Amino acid sequence: MDKPIVTRNLCKIYQEGRVEVTAVSSADLTLGEGEVVGLFGPSGSGKTTLLSILGCILRPTSGSLMLYGKEVSDMSEADLPFIRKKYISFIFQGFNLFPALTVHENVMLVLKLKGVKGEVAERRATELLTEVGLEERIDFLPRDLSGGQKQRVAVARALAADAPVILADEPTGNLDFSNGRKVMELLKNLAAERKRCVVVATHDNRIEDIFDRILFMEDGKIVREKRRSP
Amino acid sequence: MFYVALRILLYDKIRSFITLLGVVFAVGLIFAQLGIFLGLMETSSVIIDHTPGDIWVTSKNSKNFDFSQPFPEYLYHHVRSEDGVQWAEKLIVTWALIKQKEGGTEQIEIVGYNPDSGVGGPWEMKAGDIRNVKNGNFAIVDESAMRRLGNIRVGEYRDILFRRLQIVGISRGAKSFTTAPLVFTSYKLAQGLVGWIGPDNTVFVVAKAAPGYSVATVVERLKKRLKGVDVYTKEAFSMKTRLYWAVETGVGFSFMLTILISFFVGMLIVGQTIYNSTVEHIKEFGTLKALGASNFEIYKIIFSQALINALAGYLLSLIITILSVKIYESTDMVMVVKGWVNLLVLGLTLLMCVSAAFVSIRKIKKIDPAILFRG
Ligand SMILES: Nc1ncnc2c1ncn2[C@@H]1O[C@H](COP(=O)(O)OP(=O)(O)O)[C@@H](O)[C@H]1O
Ligand SMILES: [Mg+2]
Repeated sequence: MDKPIVTRNLCKIYQEGRVEVTAVSSADLTLGEGEVVGLFGPSGSGKTTLLSILGCILRPTSGSLMLYGKEVSDMSEADLPFIRKKYISFIFQGFNLFPALTVHENVMLVLKLKGVKGEVAERRATELLTEVGLEERIDFLPRDLSGGQKQRVAVARALAADAPVILADEPTGNLDFSNGRKVMELLKNLAAERKRCVVVATHDNRIEDIFDRILFMEDGKIVREKRRSP
Repeated sequence: MFYVALRILLYDKIRSFITLLGVVFAVGLIFAQLGIFLGLMETSSVIIDHTPGDIWVTSKNSKNFDFSQPFPEYLYHHVRSEDGVQWAEKLIVTWALIKQKEGGTEQIEIVGYNPDSGVGGPWEMKAGDIRNVKNGNFAIVDESAMRRLGNIRVGEYRDILFRRLQIVGISRGAKSFTTAPLVFTSYKLAQGLVGWIGPDNTVFVVAKAAPGYSVATVVERLKKRLKGVDVYTKEAFSMKTRLYWAVETGVGFSFMLTILISFFVGMLIVGQTIYNSTVEHIKEFGTLKALGASNFEIYKIIFSQALINALAGYLLSLIITILSVKIYESTDMVMVVKGWVNLLVLGLTLLMCVSAAFVSIRKIKKIDPAILFRG
C-alpha cells in the first residue's frame, strides 16, 4: 500500500529580487494513513512553505513529492486542481470561510466542489457540523460565531470530502488556549477515526502532547523527530 | 455557484444596490436613446410606410421624402402604361407657410394626394373623411400639429401661402419628423398652391405591381424606360429616407455616442464592483482553489455575479422604460420598445456586465498561496 505522502530531497528557494531565500531544504518525509503529525518550529523556519508544497499549491524548486505513489511535483498547473480535489484538504489560521454563506453553506460548497450532490451533501454537512458540536448554529453566518466555533466549521469543512490528507497551518493561532486545545482534540479524534493523514504546522508548544509524532523544523530543515511511545 | 454569487451580492446589500442602480441607469439610458432614435427613424418615413403601393418614382438623386424635386407629370402616364403596373398615383410633397391665428407664420409640409384613391393621404382620421379635400380649397391637418398650430377645428379657415383653406378633417398618426406640421390637400390644390412645383409637374409617382409580377422586375423595367428620375421599391425609399436622417444629418451619431458612453459607464461600474468584491474574497476563492476548485469553477461565481447584475438591472430598466413610454408619448415623441429592441438591449447589457467581469479573471489566475495562510 502506497503511503499518503512521501517526499525526497524537497527544496524550495524563494527568489526575492536578487536575494535567494531557502525556505525548505532537502526535506525527506514519509507520512502514513491515520497519522496526526505536528510540524513544529519557530516563525520563519519553513513550516508554511512545506505545507503549501505538500498541498500542491506551491511548487518545489527541486525534489520529489509523491501522493499515494503518484509523482506530483512535475505535474502541469492544469492537472493540479484535480490532484488537490482528490487528496487534499486545508485548515487555515484565519478560517477563510465565506462571510456571506452560512456555516452549513460553507461546508456544502466544498462538498459540492468535491462532487457530492444535492441531498447527500446536505445531510453530510449537517452530520459533520453536529460532530464538531455546531448543530445549533448551522444557519449562522461566520461573523456570528466565536473564533473557536469558526475553526470548528473549518474542521468540518476539511473533513467534508473524502480527501485523505488534511493540512492545517497554525489552526490555533487565533484561538485562546482552551478553545485551541478543544479544536485540536476534535481534529485529532475525527481524523483518526477516518484514518486521515493530518499535518499540523504550529509553533504553539502547548499542544505538543496532542501529536503521536512531531517533526521539528529549523531554517528550512527537519532537524529532529519525536514519537510518542505507545 | 450561481447561488454562491447571489449570496455574495445579497450580503453586501448597499454595494449591490448601488451597482444595480448603475446598471439600471446605464441600461435605461440605452433603452431611451435607442427607443427615441428608432422612433425618429420610423417617423421620418411614416408616410412612405403607410402609403399603399410598392414602387416610388422620385426626381433624380432625391435624398429623402421631405426634400424631393418636382419632375414632369407626363412620366406618370409612362409608369401607368408599363407592363406589370397595376395602378399608379401622383403625389406632391412640398413646403409652405401657414398663417397663425394670432399672427406670424409657421412652416408646414404639404402632402397633395388624389382624394379618389387616397394614395399618399392620411391613413387614420380623427375627424372628417380623406375624400373631403376634393375639388376645392380644403385641407386636413394632423392632430400632432396642434402643438404648433394651436387648436384647429373642422370647419375653420386657415391661410396657407396666399390661399384661404377650410379645414375638413383631422388626421391621426401623421407625425412629421422635420417637426413642421403635415397638412394634406388634394393633389390639384397642392400643385397650384405652391408656385414652384409648376402646373405640369409632380413630386412622386407611387405605383403598385400587378399580381404575378415581382416588384423588383417592375422596378428594373421602369428604371430602363424612365429618363431623369429614380425608381425605388417602397422599402428601399423608406430606408433611404431613414438613413438620410440618421446618418447624413449626424443625428444618429449623437444617439450612438450616448449609447456607447452609457455602455462603458455601466461596464465601469459593474467591473469596479466585481473587481472589489473579488479582491475582498480573494482568500476564500484561494481556499476553494486549495481544496481543488479549478479556476473555471471560481470564474463561474464571478460571472454569475455579473449575470445577476445584468439580468436584474435589465429587468428593472425594462419595466421603467415601458412605464415611461407613456410619458414620452405625452410629449409627442415616439419611443420604440419592441421585441427585437429589447433583445438587442438585453444583449448589450449582458455584454456590458460579462465583459466587466473579465478584469477579475487575472486576479483569480494569479492568487498567491501565501495570502491563504495569513491570519
Ligand atoms: N512568498 C515568499 N516569498 C519570499 N520569501 C518567502 C515567501 N514565503 C516565505 N518566505 C520566506 O521563507 C521562509 C520560511 O517562511 P514560512 O514558510 O512562512 O515559515 P513559517 O511558516 O515557519 O513561519 C521565511 O524566511 C520567509 O521569509
Ligand atoms: Mg507560517
